[in-house]
Amino acid sequence: MTALPTLNRIGWLLASIGVGLLFIALWYAVAKARLVSPVFLPGPERAWDALVYGLTEGDLREKTWATIERMLYGWLLASLVGILLGALIGVSQVARAYVEPTLEFLRPLPASAMMPVAIAILGLTDAMVLAVIAFGALWPMLLATVHGFAAVEPRLYQVSRALGLSRREVIWKIALPSAMPDILAGMRVGLTIALILAVVGEMLASRPGLGQAILLAARSFQSADLYAGVILLGAIGYVSGTLLSAVEAHLLRWRNAHT
Amino acid sequence: MTDTPRDRALIAFDGVDLTLGGKLILTGIDVAIRKGEFLSVVGPSGCGKTSLLNLAAGLLMPSKGRVTYDGKPVTGPRQDIAIVFQDYGKALLPWRTAAGNISLALEATGYPKDRREARIAELLDLIGLSAHADKFPNQLSGGMQQRLQIARCLAQDPAVLLMDEPFGALDAMTRQALQDEVLALAARTGATVLFITHDLEEAIYLGDRVIAMRPNPGRFDVSFAIDLPRPRDQLTTREQPDFLRLRRELFDVIKDVEH
Amino acid sequence: MSKDKQRFGWRGLVLPVGFLVAAEAAMRMTGWESSLLAAPSAIAVAFATALADGTIATATLQTLATSLGGLALGAGLGLAIGILLGLVRTADRLLEFSIEAFRPIPAVALIPIALLVFGFGFRMEIAIVAFAALWPILILTRAAVAGVEPRLIQVARALGFGPAARVWKIVLPAALPRIFVAFRLAAGIALIVAVTVEIAANPIGLGYNMMLAQQTLRPELMLALLLWLGILGWGLNQAMVWSQKRLFGPAAMVRIDP
Repeated sequence: MTALPTLNRIGWLLASIGVGLLFIALWYAVAKARLVSPVFLPGPERAWDALVYGLTEGDLREKTWATIERMLYGWLLASLVGILLGALIGVSQVARAYVEPTLEFLRPLPASAMMPVAIAILGLTDAMVLAVIAFGALWPMLLATVHGFAAVEPRLYQVSRALGLSRREVIWKIALPSAMPDILAGMRVGLTIALILAVVGEMLASRPGLGQAILLAARSFQSADLYAGVILLGAIGYVSGTLLSAVEAHLLRWRNAHT
Repeated sequence: MTDTPRDRALIAFDGVDLTLGGKLILTGIDVAIRKGEFLSVVGPSGCGKTSLLNLAAGLLMPSKGRVTYDGKPVTGPRQDIAIVFQDYGKALLPWRTAAGNISLALEATGYPKDRREARIAELLDLIGLSAHADKFPNQLSGGMQQRLQIARCLAQDPAVLLMDEPFGALDAMTRQALQDEVLALAARTGATVLFITHDLEEAIYLGDRVIAMRPNPGRFDVSFAIDLPRPRDQLTTREQPDFLRLRRELFDVIKDVEH
Repeated sequence: MSKDKQRFGWRGLVLPVGFLVAAEAAMRMTGWESSLLAAPSAIAVAFATALADGTIATATLQTLATSLGGLALGAGLGLAIGILLGLVRTADRLLEFSIEAFRPIPAVALIPIALLVFGFGFRMEIAIVAFAALWPILILTRAAVAGVEPRLIQVARALGFGPAARVWKIVLPAALPRIFVAFRLAAGIALIVAVTVEIAANPIGLGYNMMLAQQTLRPELMLALLLWLGILGWGLNQAMVWSQKRLFGPAAMVRIDP
């Protein structure tokens, strides 16, 4: 709408970071002036100290790694099952007619709601958390994959028939690349869900990890440790999201190519 | 006007009817296409021209009568029959480069791997896209995309080219350029061409023979032999008295049909 | 659209009905009493009972209250900021880093902070739902406003409209369908996050009741609540889709993919 003052990309990036630092300065000021109780809002310097200490001498490193591992394993498992199953269902109109209504009904169901059920079956164990993560991350993956395979341009199937491509060639060279944008989008959502469920699972089942750490910190009023943990969780979310986006951008570079 | 005797025909339709979804699409189709012939088929929309093409391609089976290729009944798509679709954007693989798209046809026909690169370069050169080998289809203009599709079809080394209103979506200047390119390619490769269009002048300009169709249900109405000299020229051929006479005759037929 | 209607034909029922029959049979065969799971018939009974004695009503109202409260708060903020960022590119660029820094924080990670500040109860849950609902609305609203067909703005300029009139008469109405879609998405998220908070920590609502049922070894009630949650979520989504169609017509239907 309003025109952009001329600054190149780096300039804007720096300005943007500058604004971010302004917010941190604001945080510092508010905490220093005790406008909010330090129990609720420790100053950024305290949070930073807790973060550094926890990562170097404390146990934040193991806990962070535990959460990341949980998230990744659950997500990878869900991806594998989701893509395979989604491909099988997606290419067959018959299969879709049977399966899609059920999937549509299950779509809005919170994955976390499966947690009580999982606890009933598997108890408060790591296996339970992993199962919930995998289950939760599975749905967006499955739905997106089914959609991707179902939405392959019909003209391309005609082209395949005219060229005499084998069934294996059709799936590998036509259907899969065509479905890739949807699959990757599903994987991105799945990753977000995996992180959320990892945290909730750790909180509920008291399994070692950042989720449990921040809950304990809150209970013992260690707000600096609490904030440090939250920052780390944000960092995990950011890094994993960025990495996946980079992979996606590379695999899908044909989409963003301009004339 | 005498049709080609059946024994010298490459593609022949014998009393072919086509019913799809309970509706009679085509009826009484009788034609024999000689090897190396350029046959234009014109008609208003809805007269089953595309279905005619699909029958010749082996993508559809006739409900009555038979379609033969080189004397033998057509049972399915053949790798030496290539189809050029009107919606080139949908018929190309958007995730492969221009070279990659041509490669698909070579992969399908099992062209020797070590000679593929050379053949792709040859074909790109033939249609004038050598400089764009590594571009994705959405980086190419409409005319270039259609050329690319034609190149992919040529990679099949086809004996027959089936073209379904290939230039319908292009602007007039590009259309004329591609018309001449197709004529040159047909002359060079000796391919048999079945060319569907709703553009009367295009049909006359390109063909050795033109057949006009009537709709509801689709059937052949009249056919004219085109005695214009080859090679054709956009300017001089279109001014020839024979061209104008054919154009008027064809126009009268089509106008009659449109009632 | 007619294909969608066909989809919900009899074939779609085969899977769920088959599953229910198999589950019922399995539970009956392996023994009636189980503290872990329950047969569909028992679930149905528990559902009816809970409905009658008001458990479901109370819990649903609690969950819906926090969802809607959080949604309103988050959407309000998200809309305001999103429209601003969509209109004023400078502000958009300047806030980019800060938004990208805050966005990846999982809403559930803020549960302990909210617990610290508000303690258990409604306010804590509303705060978290608001945080979760804020981001999709902000981002999609920004995209919707910034993505208004430039031609329309040119036309508005040519007609002599000032900036305020342009925003009010052209930009906002043009962006409205997509904003509504963002709202639909956020509503779904609001419900999910509310239930998640209840499961993880907060002793109110459907999520908490599910956990309670599991802990007191009443699996049939737990599963009944789960089923109800599914119906609720599905029903809410359908209601939103319906209202979107009514408000904007089928031309404005934008598909949300997961």
